Amino acid sequence: MDIISHLALGFSTALTLQNIGLCLIGCLIGTLVGVLPGVGPIATITMLLPITFGIDPVGALIMLAGIYYGAQYGGSTTAILVNIPGEATAVVTTLDGHEMAKQGRAGTALGIAAIGSFFAGTVATLVIAAVALPLTKLALLFGPAEYFSLMVMGLVFAVVLARGSVLKAIAMILAGLLLSTVGTDLETGEERMTFGYAPLADGIDFAILAMGIFGFAEVLRNLEVTEHRDVVRKAIGRLLPSLAELRQSSPSILRGTFIGGVLGILPGNGAVLGPFASYSLEKKIAKDPRRFGHGAIEGVAGPESANNAGAQTSFIPLLTLGIPPNAVMALMVGAMTIHGIVPGPQVMTRNPNMFWGMIASMWMGNLMLLIINLPLIGLWVKLLKVPYRLMFPAILIFSSIGVYSINNSPADVVFTAVFAIIGYGIIKLGFEPAPLLLGYVLGKLMEENLRRALIISRGDLMTFIERPVSAGLLLIAATLLIVAVLPSIRRSRDEVFVE
Amino acid sequence: MAQQEERSAATTVRHHIRGPQNFAAGLSLIGVSILAFWASSDLTQGSLRAMGPGMLPRTIATLLALCGFILIAISFVKDGAPLERWHMRGPFFVCLGLIAFAATVRTVGLAVAGPLLAIISGFASPETRIKELIIFAIAMTAFSVGLFKYGLNLPIPVFIIPGVVYY
Repeated sequence: MDIISHLALGFSTALTLQNIGLCLIGCLIGTLVGVLPGVGPIATITMLLPITFGIDPVGALIMLAGIYYGAQYGGSTTAILVNIPGEATAVVTTLDGHEMAKQGRAGTALGIAAIGSFFAGTVATLVIAAVALPLTKLALLFGPAEYFSLMVMGLVFAVVLARGSVLKAIAMILAGLLLSTVGTDLETGEERMTFGYAPLADGIDFAILAMGIFGFAEVLRNLEVTEHRDVVRKAIGRLLPSLAELRQSSPSILRGTFIGGVLGILPGNGAVLGPFASYSLEKKIAKDPRRFGHGAIEGVAGPESANNAGAQTSFIPLLTLGIPPNAVMALMVGAMTIHGIVPGPQVMTRNPNMFWGMIASMWMGNLMLLIINLPLIGLWVKLLKVPYRLMFPAILIFSSIGVYSINNSPADVVFTAVFAIIGYGIIKLGFEPAPLLLGYVLGKLMEENLRRALIISRGDLMTFIERPVSAGLLLIAATLLIVAVLPSIRRSRDEVFVE
Repeated sequence: MAQQEERSAATTVRHHIRGPQNFAAGLSLIGVSILAFWASSDLTQGSLRAMGPGMLPRTIATLLALCGFILIAISFVKDGAPLERWHMRGPFFVCLGLIAFAATVRTVGLAVAGPLLAIISGFASPETRIKELIIFAIAMTAFSVGLFKYGLNLPIPVFIIPGVVYY
């Protein structure tokens, strides 16, 4: 069996003392920062990126993956204990998770979230190991036209999955694409839209853009609302769910894992949809749907499993095709590039150690979260009681040091401030920043492939329709877009998000 | 008279806008598009067979402006969200703090830049207590020096007096 030998290679890489330690530290600090209300995985990873600079590439990626899982799990902890979701995917968890916490069952909610996540993580790791090889082979058959169409489909997915107006989401994607064209032209080497400012010749650093538009803009928005933090005062209660509760939630965990895992593979941030889909499903098939919203354990188990499964399978497009499906994965690209690795189908053959080691470390990270987090819940609760007036200066200091350290450039900090204002304005005008980031992330890759495809076809745009795979992908994209604009479907889409 | 007419014309326009947020959003998109056209005006267009550096930015900017016009059109026919209030205090002090950090981190060092950022940005929140903030700022800076300088060996200067101390 190929999978077993590959996983064995992975574990032999991941199970060195240094890498176990890095994975542990990554999970710990990832959770520590992720627990802070209003600090999601994107801000956490950007903030912590510099601490991986001094480590060898394999270790750095293992640590980053640990940070990612930690941040995800920290977000769920905040959702359950404080009713503040760290990011979109944790929104659903607040519904029943926080309700359970109010009833003195916070421990059980956190426990089932951890167990569900661990199970989902284990399954997702196996899925990644199984599909990585065939997908990589498929990727090698892809030409520039197919790549371009695939990314178009990813962007359409992002539009359909964004909340609110479809038109505004499209505008944000276009804005992201536009930002990605700033910098040196790929073919002619001319400077584009840099206003003669030399540091812009390399383009806008993704970490800086993400930190400004996601991290700092969020701080600005939090400063506006007078703080009302609903930290659970009730006892945390028993951490391990009872056998009856386990039996009650295990079918939800299974369903959540499946839904989240499948949606996570889609390019264009399908993972966001997982928890929502899982929650609606659980509510629909429950014997007594009225329990939902009043502390139903299935309402935590399903979405949390979906969340984690999706978080993990969203590595698949990155590792096999080299296309980051969401902003977090784009940060991973940034991190890999800093360490001299270009993500894509060639990674598996050129650095098999790194590739399989990272996959193995995903499973280890999930295991560590289960082991370390449950005993540390008391610490997280204390941390959650730190008032925002102290929390935001601390966030600003760490983030600024993080941004500065990426290029050792003070100007980058000023850029982040500019993007923070832009991000704040974007939100005030009713736009969502997530599609902008995705547009930015895919922009350079898309342009490169578009231009290559057109050179090959001698300027004939029909090449995208004449090649069957490319045509199929574009057809899917077009259908999705039309469906999303149809009024009847739009209504049910809005309902999913309102729930 | 003329002035009055103008004002009443302005109010009538305002009266017809049923979605002010969409209207403002559309205007901003058009603004960005114009900026992009201006910035890319010196770039060659090329042809589909050999795309020049200017083709893609201008195409995207055109589409962006199109989105802007549609949003503005929608704002006249469909009721939408009102404009949200912009609070100036938060963005002002946070950005001032960040600029202060950027200006001092390489010239004086983190030992000064850190507390400066924390204290200036602290004014962004009405709930800030100044004494508590100062103590907290110093403690956080000391912690980050320990973590980033000693723990991780990042090349970030801690304290500089030009010609005398560089640490």
